[in-house]
Amino acid sequence: MIGHAARLFLGCVFLLAGVLKVINPDELAREMTGYGIIGARVSAVAAPLLIAIEITLGVALLVASRMRVTAAVASILLLVFLGAKIYSFARGNTDPCGCFGTYLQTSPGWGIAIDTGFLASGLLTLWGLGRRGDIGGRLRSMAVATVAFLSLGLAVASPHLPIDRFVTRLAVGRSLLDLGLQGKVPGEGRRLVALLDLTDPGAAAIAARLDAIAGEPRAARVVAITPSSEEDKAAFQWQANPGFAVEHVDFALLNPPGQRPLYRRLPRYFLVAGDRVVAIYDDAPPAASDLISSEAS
Amino acid sequence: MRVRLAAPLAFALVVVPAAIPSQARAGELLCKANYDYSIEVNGTYPQGACFYQGDARGKWFIDIPSNKDGLLMDLTERKIFAVPRGRVAPAGDGELKVQDDLPPGSTAYAFSVEGPIIQFQADDSKIRILPVLQRPPITGSTTIAEIEADRPEYREGMKIYTPDPKSMAVIGKYPKQVEIEAYFATWCPHCKIYMPKLLRVLKDAKNPRIKLDLVGVPRNFTQASGPWSDKNLTSVPTIVVKVEGREITRMGAREGAVPEEELAGILQAVK
Repeated sequence: MIGHAARLFLGCVFLLAGVLKVINPDELAREMTGYGIIGARVSAVAAPLLIAIEITLGVALLVASRMRVTAAVASILLLVFLGAKIYSFARGNTDPCGCFGTYLQTSPGWGIAIDTGFLASGLLTLWGLGRRGDIGGRLRSMAVATVAFLSLGLAVASPHLPIDRFVTRLAVGRSLLDLGLQGKVPGEGRRLVALLDLTDPGAAAIAARLDAIAGEPRAARVVAITPSSEEDKAAFQWQANPGFAVEHVDFALLNPPGQRPLYRRLPRYFLVAGDRVVAIYDDAPPAASDLISSEAS
Repeated sequence: MRVRLAAPLAFALVVVPAAIPSQARAGELLCKANYDYSIEVNGTYPQGACFYQGDARGKWFIDIPSNKDGLLMDLTERKIFAVPRGRVAPAGDGELKVQDDLPPGSTAYAFSVEGPIIQFQADDSKIRILPVLQRPPITGSTTIAEIEADRPEYREGMKIYTPDPKSMAVIGKYPKQVEIEAYFATWCPHCKIYMPKLLRVLKDAKNPRIKLDLVGVPRNFTQASGPWSDKNLTSVPTIVVKVEGREITRMGAREGAVPEEELAGILQAVK
């Protein structure tokens, strides 16, 4: 009984963690890099894999597929999480733990405590199930394999899915204060705000498109906001010679812990009138002519 | 006929007036100091040297007081032009007006870009423009006066900051002995925002019972030894607040931090 209760609890935990992370795999990759154990390239590959593993483990635990194996894998995974957090914390990393994605974040200390509790649940599952858990079931295994396949596909595709309006805090009608950008978007009239990653190889091409808008006197003024470092900003400034202002805003301000992020992936564009967002352009900046015609109307 | 006349008339009314202001300001560049960059001349950082951003695209002005001429960097033309001092005039608020309609044949220098750094040779000077965070850091004990003299980004940050008067009153009149050990780094972007505010607060407080130990740390401060060693520092800035010799708490930079409010709160709690 205790073993099954622990199994169901752990299954819910893994499923919730995976589902919340699949909304923003890029953020998970960034947090994994922040632990200082693996680099950005490895994290970019590992993040979708980890999400798929968590969802699959969650489902496998809930449907009781190969319970002992699943509980053992879950416990090992929790041990790895715990080790990574302790290692990172010992090196002075005080970034919040994104164990449940960007939407439920805890301090590193709490993250370690929570993982210890989950690990205890994993061990309790193993102990409580005894030898009963090793029965499989072909149908269940196939269902779990299907979930693994689908969740990996979802994690890979997620950044490209049009869900930003639901999962980020950028929305039409919100004020610059709501977005944490008060004082960062100079001017009072209509301004096109471009959220840019200046280290993106395509940044110069984006700058050229924004220059076309900035060079049109009747179009909205262009302001680029970037979480990239000051060094990256300087390099961009000298290489791209943008015809618009570039403001650095700290990543933590754009995506504060515990709040919905401003973006999942860059670039992102939005139009501001006064201090309110009036339009959002997720794929590409609007053409200068579009900004002029909308102003006329 | 009306239609035929209307087009040129509209052109005259709309386009020509729009063109007039730009013609009127042609040749005059309004330049605003930009403290995100340092000017290095032959490996040194001359006091008073300043980098300015022009109000025209891709134009930046380099003012090195010891140089005969000012230098105008044109990113579009990929050249740096010597500008005689007679063409440069103050415009108030630390801004400059530069007449940039230079005659043909003006002295020009080629420059190269390496990542965030611009470098060029002007006569016998090797000049580099680099982000302030890339300057060799201040390490070890230092003072507010030394920082103000050496780091324009800190000096100007202090100048423009207005501390909260209520908090300042608390800090200024605090009766106990306070020691503040501030570990910071001139290479750290958060310190660049936070430290000028804190230094302004401590400078303005004028409380003789508050002693400040200001320590600059190197990039590898967790491995390198110095006055910052054995202080259990994990990040910078770290501000250790001691009241009557006893460490009470540590403050650090976070987005939107207001150092005087935090410090006043700490001191009030230890009354």
